[in-house]
Amino acid sequence: MNNAKKFRSEIVAYLVIVVGVGVPALAQQFVSKAPTAADWAALAKLPDFNGVWERSGVGGGGNPAFGTATPAAPRGDQPPAGNRGGAGPQRGGRGNGGGSAAAGGRGGGPSFTPQYEAMRVDAARAPQPEDNSTANCLPPGMPGIMGQPYPMEFLLTPGKVTIVIEAYTQVRHIYTDGRPLPEDPDPKFFGTSVGHWQGDTLVAETVGFNDHVQLARGVPHSDKMKIVERFRLMDPDTMSIETTITDPGILAAPYTTTGTLRRHRNWTISEYICEENNRNYVDQTGKAGINLTVPGTPKKD
Amino acid sequence: MKHLFLLALLAASLTAAAALPAAAHHSFAAFDITSQKTVTGTVRQVDWTNPHIWLWIDVPNDKGGSDTYGFEGMSPNFLARRGWTRTTLKTGDKITVSYRPMKDGSNGGMFMTGQMTDGKVLSMMGGSDAPAR
Repeated sequence: MNNAKKFRSEIVAYLVIVVGVGVPALAQQFVSKAPTAADWAALAKLPDFNGVWERSGVGGGGNPAFGTATPAAPRGDQPPAGNRGGAGPQRGGRGNGGGSAAAGGRGGGPSFTPQYEAMRVDAARAPQPEDNSTANCLPPGMPGIMGQPYPMEFLLTPGKVTIVIEAYTQVRHIYTDGRPLPEDPDPKFFGTSVGHWQGDTLVAETVGFNDHVQLARGVPHSDKMKIVERFRLMDPDTMSIETTITDPGILAAPYTTTGTLRRHRNWTISEYICEENNRNYVDQTGKAGINLTVPGTPKKD
Repeated sequence: MKHLFLLALLAASLTAAAALPAAAHHSFAAFDITSQKTVTGTVRQVDWTNPHIWLWIDVPNDKGGSDTYGFEGMSPNFLARRGWTRTTLKTGDKITVSYRPMKDGSNGGMFMTGQMTDGKVLSMMGGSDAPAR
């Protein structure tokens, strides 16, 4: 084979590889169009979601009642599940703000089909771990991350809503550029989200959750699990989020919760690097603890 | 208020890992939340860090020396929005700390309130002179 011929056959081989490997990958890629001046102008017609929001019921800060010394934090509004916990944001029945369960049995938790309800009951009877992996600085997945007692900043740009979440320094990307949900998404803590506007309501659909996301302790989800969030303004500085989880075959019915966020115009998002000085831990047996080694001294055993 | 707090804690412990209130980062498993202790000492160091601030104080012991106690508070992010700054507590400040003790008896626990010598009371919701925002 002369050099020219060899070169040609290498090219052909290369093209076969590129075409064979490249086409399926390309098929999953949605190409965003470059935003025009009209696209930017159109944002002004959308509801004003921009800014820093915190879920209701955290206490202090925006509530003068907590501006003075009180011995304990108000904790009535239960934060949603961590990545090892139940799935509902703001479960109902215990709150003094922000949350109520709109559906579901067991005092607000999701209701499961018999097989998975049995799993839940077994897990509830088993020895309980003392903590979940957030103690080790893994972030809560969806929907738990949306109910942390830290603010979130909403950013609207053409084709996308970005939520910058202070807790664990996380980001959610909700594409509103018309792309479809992926058919076979990689499993992730936050899944993959697309959104569209129904009048003044942003409807976000999210699929593809990893195994850190559980519907209740000890109850897995399937790859059919889907979360639909409906965001809308109730008044200029109050946002309502209705969150519905479906998982056919595992959840007996869609599980819906509602929560509210308050806007704080004088707040900015700060950093939250959980590994900066994390003295908490939970080990593989579920035993939790705290490292009380005094700074600047040798580590205790 | 305290009663509500305990009820909420109970609710939190019943739902175990699902509910990590306020702290949102870990459970109360390491603390004895049924009891409250008080100790007076001098601030040795303040760690104004995530995910929690840590307050270290030196407490005189009966051997003529001192023991160092560690107290976990909320996060700097949470506290900065409620009137605290990284210099609200400074090295050398005298403080009486009320806290939920460690279950294992180690020196320290979860910070509840701090009484300063000038009468100021600090809590995780803000100091008594904290601006209500």
